[in-house]
Amino acid sequence: MRRWRTALLIGLAFVLAVAGTFTFAYRAGRRAHMLRFENQPIRPWMSVPFIAHTHHVPPSELFAAIGVQPREPHDRRSVRRLAHDLRRPVPELMGELQHALDAEVHKPGGAGK
Amino acid sequence: MSDQLLALVSQYGAPALFGIVAIAAIGAPLPVTLLLIVAGSMVSQGALNLWLAIGVVSAGSVLGDQCGYAIGRWGGPALVDRVSRLFGKRARLQPMEQKIRAWGGPGIFVTRWLISPLGPWINLASGTAAYPWHRFVFWDALGEVTGAALYISLGKYFSDRVISLEGVLGDLTWAVAALLAAVVLGYQLFAYLRRTARPSANIDPRSPESQAETE
Repeated sequence: MRRWRTALLIGLAFVLAVAGTFTFAYRAGRRAHMLRFENQPIRPWMSVPFIAHTHHVPPSELFAAIGVQPREPHDRRSVRRLAHDLRRPVPELMGELQHALDAEVHKPGGAGK
Repeated sequence: MSDQLLALVSQYGAPALFGIVAIAAIGAPLPVTLLLIVAGSMVSQGALNLWLAIGVVSAGSVLGDQCGYAIGRWGGPALVDRVSRLFGKRARLQPMEQKIRAWGGPGIFVTRWLISPLGPWINLASGTAAYPWHRFVFWDALGEVTGAALYISLGKYFSDRVISLEGVLGDLTWAVAALLAAVVLGYQLFAYLRRTARPSANIDPRSPESQAETE
């Protein structure tokens, strides 16, 4: 009796592991398929050149949109750091960046085209 | 926490990357995969050199792993206790020591990049199990260079999709872990059923198995 209980427990764990393998593999496959079409969110840790690269927009456009003169040669300050330097709330700055990106996408020949 | 670390890497590049991966390798739960993908994206943007990034990440990780190994081997039970409490329970270390003895080098290699959450445990357990240091260094360095090259290259290739890519890799890691568990459990189940299906006539009546069956 004890032997069958052990076998049943190992069998159950095996079935769970197989189900987990298929579930996560399916999820990974679906996400990988959507990779090219998903909108990439803006996060406070991102720098303006990073956001610009992700959305295929010139960094100068985004810097101009938030009224920042970029430091030379590479201004890699994060959005949070920029907000701190400009004494403005982070969500407000992120909103302005998103607005600039949307405007760029809808421009004729813009990033979204 | 991860936001600050990602901002550090984004702003300071290689030195920040080195420090963070070294601390993570000792056992701090930091989002290293995402950091490496972001580093790959920075390579694609020209903000970081590819070989420098791979070299810095590998060196930092190996340094952290060596610290974990040294603590396990020479730190004494009190220090091992304190460090293992940082990322779990001391009791989990014992099964890891058995795994190190069973898997050896390939186990160390795989936990550097494929099942990386187990990495700090394996470092400590390799030390406490007195796994030969030169072999540990070899498999460790091989695994860390593989992991750094893989994740940074992925980040470079999908440089404009880093957030989504992290989700894909997270699911893939779980899928691989579940697959490994399925293989081990399947083998155990097969071996168990074969053992129990053996005719009792072939079992030596003095053997412990036969005595257990009569109980």
